[in-house]
Amino acid sequence: MDAPVLRIENLSKTYEDGTQALVDVSFEIRKGEFLVIIGLSGSGKSTLLRCINRLVEPTSGHIWFDGIDIAQVKGTKLRSTRRQIGMIFQQFNLVKRSKVITNVISGRLGYLNPLWSVVGYVPPQVRQDAFQALQQVGIAEKAQNRADALSGGQQQRVGIARALMQKPKIILADEPVASLDPVLAYSILDYLEKLNREHGMTVLCSLHYLDLVQRYADRVIGLRDGKIVYEGSKADIQNITDTQFRQIYGEEAQRLGGGLTGGLQKG
Amino acid sequence: MKPPRSLLSLPPILNAFVSLIPGLGQLLRGYITRAILIFSFVASLYGLVLWRLDDAKIAVTVLPPSIDTADLSRPQETTLTYAVVAIIFAVLGHLWGIFDAYVCAGHKPSPPRLGMTFLIIGTLVVGSDITEINIAKAVREIDDIVPRLSQILWPWNPEKILYRDKENFDGVALWETPCQEDGPVEQPEPVEGQPYLEIAPDCGDPSGGRLPNGRRREGTEVTLKGYNYRPNEQAELIINPASIPEFRVVVDGERVRVTPDDNGQFELSFVMPNFTIPSTTVGAVPVRIIVRQQKEIGSPKLVKEFWLSLEAIIETIFLALMATAFGLILAVPMSFVAARNLMATNIITLTIYYLVRLFMNVVRSIEPLIWALIAIVWVGPGPFAGVIALTIHTIAALGKLYSESIESIDDGPIEAIQATGADRLQTIMYAVVPQVVPPFVSFTIYRWDINVRMSTIIGAVGGGGIGAILVQWIRIGDYDSVGIAVWMIAIVVTILDYASARIRERYV
Repeated sequence: MDAPVLRIENLSKTYEDGTQALVDVSFEIRKGEFLVIIGLSGSGKSTLLRCINRLVEPTSGHIWFDGIDIAQVKGTKLRSTRRQIGMIFQQFNLVKRSKVITNVISGRLGYLNPLWSVVGYVPPQVRQDAFQALQQVGIAEKAQNRADALSGGQQQRVGIARALMQKPKIILADEPVASLDPVLAYSILDYLEKLNREHGMTVLCSLHYLDLVQRYADRVIGLRDGKIVYEGSKADIQNITDTQFRQIYGEEAQRLGGGLTGGLQKG
Repeated sequence: MKPPRSLLSLPPILNAFVSLIPGLGQLLRGYITRAILIFSFVASLYGLVLWRLDDAKIAVTVLPPSIDTADLSRPQETTLTYAVVAIIFAVLGHLWGIFDAYVCAGHKPSPPRLGMTFLIIGTLVVGSDITEINIAKAVREIDDIVPRLSQILWPWNPEKILYRDKENFDGVALWETPCQEDGPVEQPEPVEGQPYLEIAPDCGDPSGGRLPNGRRREGTEVTLKGYNYRPNEQAELIINPASIPEFRVVVDGERVRVTPDDNGQFELSFVMPNFTIPSTTVGAVPVRIIVRQQKEIGSPKLVKEFWLSLEAIIETIFLALMATAFGLILAVPMSFVAARNLMATNIITLTIYYLVRLFMNVVRSIEPLIWALIAIVWVGPGPFAGVIALTIHTIAALGKLYSESIESIDDGPIEAIQATGADRLQTIMYAVVPQVVPPFVSFTIYRWDINVRMSTIIGAVGGGGIGAILVQWIRIGDYDSVGIAVWMIAIVVTILDYASARIRERYV
């Protein structure tokens, strides 16, 4: 854990309808860190993650990554930056009718000649890498199945394999377990944790459930109405106070269980 | 619903009075939609009635007095009757509008059911007059259609659609007109196994022309003796003067026939009928006189109209197939630039999107029949013109369906593929194309189905395929053949309909 991989400076996003999704957000992630963003639905978590790889255009601010400001880059430079940032999604965002292996291969597109995609040619090396990525997430035997034939947990593993194909420096995970059974949630986050611990992958992940946050996060940022309202280390989040909790989730929020097993009920 | 704000609150009686102008009372009380409805209905109904009355008057004044209007298919009294009935309903509707205005001035009016009923009936009455609906005529002249309809519905009578080749068994004698001085006419040599004829006299005159006393000239009576015919099988008399085609001799509406006896012999006398001798003829005209027995040989065959229909329906299927294929090839690229979700990135692409959309809507709103007429001017009548017409319409129709299915795809994969650093082309190939293949397949097959049905019509204006021969047979009144063609169309459309439904089921 040393130099910051990603530094966000004064990032703001106002949508065309006037919604202020992010207001002057600044923070940084160090290499090899597992940073979790928590907050209610609509607090700006998704917008923040999507600004980092420019799926959403930030209104103002800077996103420093590898010496360049992502908020300013365009065209080829933007695409070559994007391919270094893996992303996994709440709804998995697989192409359901395509084969699993095709979905994984699509993670490498940023490195391939675009004209090859028209004729559907994939270099053998890329295909091999895709099998390896599937092995890494433990579903190599499903490679030839259609994506929609897989269970939710398996689909999210395909999503991770696709992100790995990008050989990313950082992985953004937007509520990666919100559409899954709680049991599966642990197994998916275990994969991310393994990547983080064993391969030193930097992970920026938004999460809903406090008990998951307490289990996996190195550091936590709380967002509310697009502003950072909480920042804490692993130790801090284990002992989060009711006041801090309400700061993040609002006055009506109820802590269930509390302590280590604390969850939250949305207000 | 609260009563709306009045523009001008007149007392009920006055409000009813101003409604002599239909809808004005309602308008003043703020029931704007109601006012527009009543005004447009009543005004247009009065207008239509005036027009029909005017039509009836013109019909009277422009006809010359010698023509009895009762002889015309549509006497002006009918129009007059319709117009009077329509006026009654228009006035009823108008009066109801006045009453309604009175009610409106007090409280919220009930739905305008009664008034609208009057006005709608009035409109339908005028409509019946304009479209010259005449149910009595349809019932009276039903006999014109019933036999034809039964021919069309069931053309499969064996004696109509089957035939067998015929073999002629001819005995020939030679005769000439007028008689010459150079001795008897040389007769053909009898051939072993073939019949032959003896003729007396071997020359004379045909019937026809006028004698100097004004009476019609009778032809020479000729007696034939036949030998070597097949016993007890009917034979026909046929005459073949040089330079004109052979014809059967008909007397009193009956063909002249004879049946040889058990020995294959007969004797037949007849008066030489009238036939035209070319005016340029010099000397005698030789005439072949034939007594012919016919025998059907071989197995029954389908009539040539059946094979013509079969060829034409195959042409129709391929016409539709080619149009669908060309339409597909051109509609796919077009649909991508006509999909809003792919083109909304900047002002240039958005402009292209609107232009392509406009183009497709304009082209689609013109029926293939019209395109066929245009294509015929371009490449001449025939199936190629049909292909062009259907292709043009197919591009627009498929382009719209395709682009709509592109617009309705799941955005998630697009976002995910973009996030990997893929460019636009890669995103389309990996995230959009896999999602749109099933609807594209489904729409394309459906379109082929539609194109087959449309191409039957396009043939009627010269676009090739089965429509062309169908229209021809309707014109010459050959309803048996029409039936064959109609059956072919029905069978093919049914099969395609079923097949396309099954394929679409599997793909979606």
